[in-house]
Amino acid sequence: MDIHITPLDFGKAAVTVVGLSKTFGKVTVLENINFHVDEDEIVVLLGASGSGKTTILRIISGLEHPDSGKVILHNRDVTDLPARERGTGVIFQSYALFPKMSVAQNIAYGLKIRRKPRKEIRETIDRLLELVHLEEHRKKYPSQLSGGQQQRVAIARALAYNPEVLLFDEPFGALDAQIRAKLRREIRALLKEIRVPSIFITHDQEEALELGDRVAVLNSGRLEQIATPFEVYNNPETEYVATFLGAANILSGVVDGRRFEAGVVTVELEQESATLKPEPAKLVVRPEDLFLRKPENLTQKYQRLADGTIKEVSFIGAFERVVVKMELPEQPTFVVTRPKTETAAFPLRPGQKVTAGVVRFRILKDKKTRNEPKKSAVA
Amino acid sequence: MATNLSAMRHVRGFDVVKPLSITVMIVVMLPLILLPLASIFIFGTGKGLASFWAALNAPEAIFALKLSVVTSFWATVFNVIFGLFAAYVLTKYSFWGRNAVIVTISLPTAIPTAVAGFALLLLWGPYGTLGRLLDPKGVHLMFTAYAIILANIFVTFPLAFGVIKPVFDTMSRSLEEASATMGASRWQTFWHVTLPSLRGAIVSGALLTFARAVGEFGSTILVSGNLASRTQTAPLYIFAKFNEGQVEAANAIAIVLALLSFVIFSILFFARDWFDAD
Repeated sequence: MDIHITPLDFGKAAVTVVGLSKTFGKVTVLENINFHVDEDEIVVLLGASGSGKTTILRIISGLEHPDSGKVILHNRDVTDLPARERGTGVIFQSYALFPKMSVAQNIAYGLKIRRKPRKEIRETIDRLLELVHLEEHRKKYPSQLSGGQQQRVAIARALAYNPEVLLFDEPFGALDAQIRAKLRREIRALLKEIRVPSIFITHDQEEALELGDRVAVLNSGRLEQIATPFEVYNNPETEYVATFLGAANILSGVVDGRRFEAGVVTVELEQESATLKPEPAKLVVRPEDLFLRKPENLTQKYQRLADGTIKEVSFIGAFERVVVKMELPEQPTFVVTRPKTETAAFPLRPGQKVTAGVVRFRILKDKKTRNEPKKSAVA
Repeated sequence: MATNLSAMRHVRGFDVVKPLSITVMIVVMLPLILLPLASIFIFGTGKGLASFWAALNAPEAIFALKLSVVTSFWATVFNVIFGLFAAYVLTKYSFWGRNAVIVTISLPTAIPTAVAGFALLLLWGPYGTLGRLLDPKGVHLMFTAYAIILANIFVTFPLAFGVIKPVFDTMSRSLEEASATMGASRWQTFWHVTLPSLRGAIVSGALLTFARAVGEFGSTILVSGNLASRTQTAPLYIFAKFNEGQVEAANAIAIVLALLSFVIFSILFFARDWFDAD
């Protein structure tokens, strides 16, 4: 691949990666990855296993070398520097605390390596232990701590030497679901307090949406979209993003002017989705944006999609999940989630005939591929 | 009544196989292991502690013990350092012929010690492949203490490596990576992160090597020349004295060697717990 890199001002970004590519043998793990992380910003790399997210993290920290592309940390090109000269703080999935060192010794390690004066090391340990609320554990060994405590030691240990960026490798992977949710809120609050730029990697979409200021969705080594959690969820740019982040009902058709047509279905579009000539496209509707009514009761508020038959109704806590078989050429099944107020007003049972209507939806034009220039990573 | 009944049940539920099998086990071990060891002590101290002490204080005996300890010590130092180095290299890098190297390191386990001694003679002896070149320069390795060290290194070569390598294998790679991202050089990482996790294995490996080297006979008798007060190690001394009919002299050293192995074995037993406790 031919990448021309003109001297750029990487501005205020804490981390910038430009055109990263990497292959292992014959497998392409990363393909032309571009993004940046601002000062104080949390960016989450979200992708299934094998999407290349771990490789990106390892390349930024210097544990792996890219085939092409650059890594810039605070305006310094570190692409050819070894890991130890980059000053990143990596929080490994297993935490990788040194088992033969106490909590305090673990935190002191980076400073000891940098030959900092004893007094400074002691003060830093005190300050960080207070920050992560582990004051009473300073003499304990990692094996005597819980998973959450070990993770906080790992963070304190990385913060000790003022890292350029914190890199979290699936930090909650080893913990159970309840603790995960609690810890990620704590860690987000902590990172916002200390204002250190951070990159997380995860395969958990809920985690990504909650943790990130921006979420980068990766698919087979390519960056599908990077945007705020609200944007990637509500305005996915690709079908992969639409389906990976939450459930999505998808209907293939054609956009012509301000209309989306798929067989008998016709939906009016906003001006911004309109085209001059017919183009293949997909209609994407989130389960919570699909509404089921009796055929005669669909009000003007909704655009009619199609009729369907209820296949399955299940209770999933705060919501009811309904599977509807649509009366469309390929008889797709759509998923609808309904809040309690609606389930009470209009109870549904399998076999019932309904009409599905939409208010909010997203049109994905098929020609919209990943190679289309995105908003520049360094803009 | 109730207590009687439960007592009955207890007797009826008594498992005869348990005491029986334990007894059989010990009876088998008795003539094979326990009695031979006991007889060293019974015989050695049979004529009183004074004669035992005198036998031990013979200059030749003291020399033999010292020589065994010194030669075993240097063989241990070498094999632990090399074993550590080899384990590090073989864990960290994969290269063509890696498995062949592992097999070669382990090979001395399977080679009869007499063969090992003979092989060393053929290489380093006055007419040996390399010895022939050294001989005119006045360098004679065989029939000296160096020959004993070489023989000890050969026969104990795989021991320290064999204890250290598995610990390397189970060590998480992310520890070393974490250390690197925190700014440590390879050497700092090895010294502060890798080595502390290996303390137990290094001590065990060293003790195992030393214990094995102190008792080495087959290769030593070939390469040392078995010269009293010059190249005679403790096991060779036992053999020589026994051949001369001086059973008490042989016995006194045998007791010392047996006690030494008890001590080493006990330390070995607890070494991992002591050194690897977090």
